[in-house]
Amino acid sequence: MTWCPGLSQSGARQVTGRKGRSRATATLPGRLATAQLDAMEARSSRELQARNYLEKHRIMDLLTYLTSALLFFRPERPREYLISILERLRIARLSGVALPFFMDNSNIASMFEMLDSSNKGSISFVQYKEALKTLGLCTAEEVLKDDGHGVTFDKFRNEVNKRTQEIWSAF
Amino acid sequence: MTRGPSDSGPQGAAALRGSMDATTAPHRIPPQMPQYGEANHIFELMQNMLEQLLIHQPKDPIPFMIDHLQRDNDYVPKIVILGPPASGKTTIAMWLAKHLSTNLLSVESLIAKEYSPLAADARMHYQKFKMVPDMLLIRLMQERLKEEDCVRRGWILDGIPETREQALTIQTLGISPRHVIVLSAPDTVLIERNLGKRIDPQTGEIYHTTFDWPPESEIQNRLMVPAGIFEGETARKLLEYHRNIVRILPSYPKILKVISADQPCVDVFYQALTYVQTSHRSNAPFTPRVLLCGPVGSGKSLQAALLAQKYGLINVCCGQLLKEAVADKSKYSDLIQPFFEKEIAVPDNIIMKVLKQRLDQQDCVERGWVLHGFPRDLDQAHLMDNLGYKPNRVFFLNVPFDSVIERLSLRRTDPITGERYHLMYKPPPTIEVQARLLQNPKDSEEQIKLKMDLFYRNSAELEQFYGDAITLNGDQDPYTVFEYIESGIINRLPKKVP
Repeated sequence: MTWCPGLSQSGARQVTGRKGRSRATATLPGRLATAQLDAMEARSSRELQARNYLEKHRIMDLLTYLTSALLFFRPERPREYLISILERLRIARLSGVALPFFMDNSNIASMFEMLDSSNKGSISFVQYKEALKTLGLCTAEEVLKDDGHGVTFDKFRNEVNKRTQEIWSAF
Repeated sequence: MTRGPSDSGPQGAAALRGSMDATTAPHRIPPQMPQYGEANHIFELMQNMLEQLLIHQPKDPIPFMIDHLQRDNDYVPKIVILGPPASGKTTIAMWLAKHLSTNLLSVESLIAKEYSPLAADARMHYQKFKMVPDMLLIRLMQERLKEEDCVRRGWILDGIPETREQALTIQTLGISPRHVIVLSAPDTVLIERNLGKRIDPQTGEIYHTTFDWPPESEIQNRLMVPAGIFEGETARKLLEYHRNIVRILPSYPKILKVISADQPCVDVFYQALTYVQTSHRSNAPFTPRVLLCGPVGSGKSLQAALLAQKYGLINVCCGQLLKEAVADKSKYSDLIQPFFEKEIAVPDNIIMKVLKQRLDQQDCVERGWVLHGFPRDLDQAHLMDNLGYKPNRVFFLNVPFDSVIERLSLRRTDPITGERYHLMYKPPPTIEVQARLLQNPKDSEEQIKLKMDLFYRNSAELEQFYGDAITLNGDQDPYTVFEYIESGIINRLPKKVP
């Protein structure tokens, strides 16, 4: 991972140091080969550990949300602003108060209106999937079922809220 | 400027519509966003936070992040100074610590710590074996680095890590320096130098009989000869050092700098100080908005063309823009035409309108631009600034008058093929061609002199307005100047040393 260069490499070398000395393989190339394999394993296990951590706590989603909030509201003092958002998140999780969503109901309504330019009350399935992708609420590979009737406003709003809730509950 | 969440709806929706109606069309991100991001170093802020999260992997990320943001210690000094004995490490480390007002950690200072069972242990070990075991040293260091003053003001490690194992353990604990300085000098010089080493027992400062003799006689009287400075001892220590350093250096590939210790102490100090105060290249997304200023004939158009070709920036030449506006018979052509006919300068607000139209286009916003030929004086600069077009790199190309005359007055054009020649740098191939070459009346000496005077009258104010501008010597061949410009764009803007 490009973000933590010291982490993965160092863990590997440390293990090489310990294991390389205790293995009693006869030949030098043999010893080197086992050391290499150990190094790759250790490197990948530290990396795996780091990746699992990121996924479990949904750190990347949180950071994306923080960065978008910063760039959108452009506060004078970015650190204080970030601290205030994080405090609100912490309190919200402890006390069950509504989480500070990026888009609230009126935004979802306006978004739906923009998509439904001919005002027929529903948007096509492709538009719906693209909208969820743009909001970061679904990945490109996810398969959503297409019931053939188009997506109404209620269904759209419920789905957006449900997915946002899922993401936030992990923080 | 803050906006409430209710405002974000239509704008967010507009952005979405742009992406949805033509899913292949790029997003129209308002330029204020990347400008804000660059100005406040948002990318680096997030990157540092993510690094800390991954190193410590706290069970509760949100309080950890709040603490990290409040500490605000992303840019405190975190320096490691390594080097052979007698290279002047301790002296440099002490001077740096004083100059940057940060904490200095060395093996001696760590084991001399009071009220710590670990330190007492270490002292015992040192007295018996003359060295401290690795794990003990690392734990002492960890303890010290967790203290409030190290967290808030940074640290300088003098001579730690001594071996590769120590270096790796430090890394796994998440302690990583941002700058590593290695002093190097030939062994003979070091052995000689070590013979003259003297220590002041009261302050711990190191002096030298030849190079660094204290002026006050009271200090001179109390100087002591330290142990282990004779040739045999020094040679042994040097051998061990060379064995270890080779395996430590690969752990710090991008942040390492080797400084020769075979020069006066002050020189080494200044080199170290400049290095420590530069920040490394970051991965932040960066759209260059470059402004090239300089007198006529300094090579601005050429450099702009090279930049546009290599980096895909949009070459915006002000004079060219105006001529294009007239030729296209656009709405501005009627406004500009009379000024062209009478050969007087086009007024600022018209230029600004044409420029604004060009800089607001999607390709300029997305790929960045290189502007030259505007602004020429302070009023124009203020006008551009007020409209929100702030360049993030400004270059002033300095060329002496004689070079300009040489470059411009020898320009010729062939009226039949349209090819441009220069009698010195690109002479015409045959006598026939040379016979029919014509010179542009604007390239006459008096005209050039007039334009240069005009530029230099306004340049002082412009240089003051663009405080971060980089001045370059334009009197070299174009590719050398281009390399200087490139390094100015790619590296971070240098912080002015106070």
